[in-house]
Amino acid sequence: MPDASKNRENWAVWVGSLLALVAVLCNVVFFVSLPGLWAIAWLSMLLSVVALIFLGLGLKHAFGRPVVYRRKILSSVLSLVSLLLVGAAIFASFSARAMPTSAGAPQIGQSVPDFTLADTNDQPVSLAQLLAQAANDSKVMPAKSVLLIFYRGYW
Amino acid sequence: MAISVDPPEVSRDLCRKAGYTFTVLSDPNAVVIRRYHLLHAGGGPDGHDIARPAEFLVDSSGMVRWVNFTEDVRVRARADEMLAAAKSLR
Repeated sequence: MPDASKNRENWAVWVGSLLALVAVLCNVVFFVSLPGLWAIAWLSMLLSVVALIFLGLGLKHAFGRPVVYRRKILSSVLSLVSLLLVGAAIFASFSARAMPTSAGAPQIGQSVPDFTLADTNDQPVSLAQLLAQAANDSKVMPAKSVLLIFYRGYW
Repeated sequence: MAISVDPPEVSRDLCRKAGYTFTVLSDPNAVVIRRYHLLHAGGGPDGHDIARPAEFLVDSSGMVRWVNFTEDVRVRARADEMLAAAKSLR
């Protein structure tokens, strides 16, 4: 068995594993607020798919030829670990996008409904109150506006 | 200002840790979140109903002037985007 063929078998599995690792690590980037993060989200999916292709090729080579036993073990273990990584990356991508579309939510040009809710000191605060404050004080926000941020919560 | 289903104590804790000085309101039963069509049913830990992330810039007449609905919870509106939107109003 020529050495070149052995190296090639490992090469595909190693590339697949590396891509799987990068696909998972992509998710760490989201903790930094940078422009173009949506592209990273798709990159993670793309890398996962390419990783699967490389792993498949690597395994095919490892098991399709009479290679040394050790190589098959290594390829299998690496592939299994990488498969778990790819699974995690794909699961993260799908669960991150599993959200209602909110078609009925207020759109540009529409008026938002008023409401009153408790602030961090348990005091009732209304949107009307905040809008009135903004109208009188342009230092709060430029252009006398209020920014409404709905978020998932702190946990 | 920000709204979530967190009780006031949790939001107070968040503001203290993060140093936020803006108004943070609590909507524990997701009443306002529902009224704004932003409910993500079962989206929270332990299957709690929470708000999907959304940002609205509302002018002093109560009209929406800029809006952002992310399709991926990992990608949110950035502070500079929101400030730019506010500055573009008059």
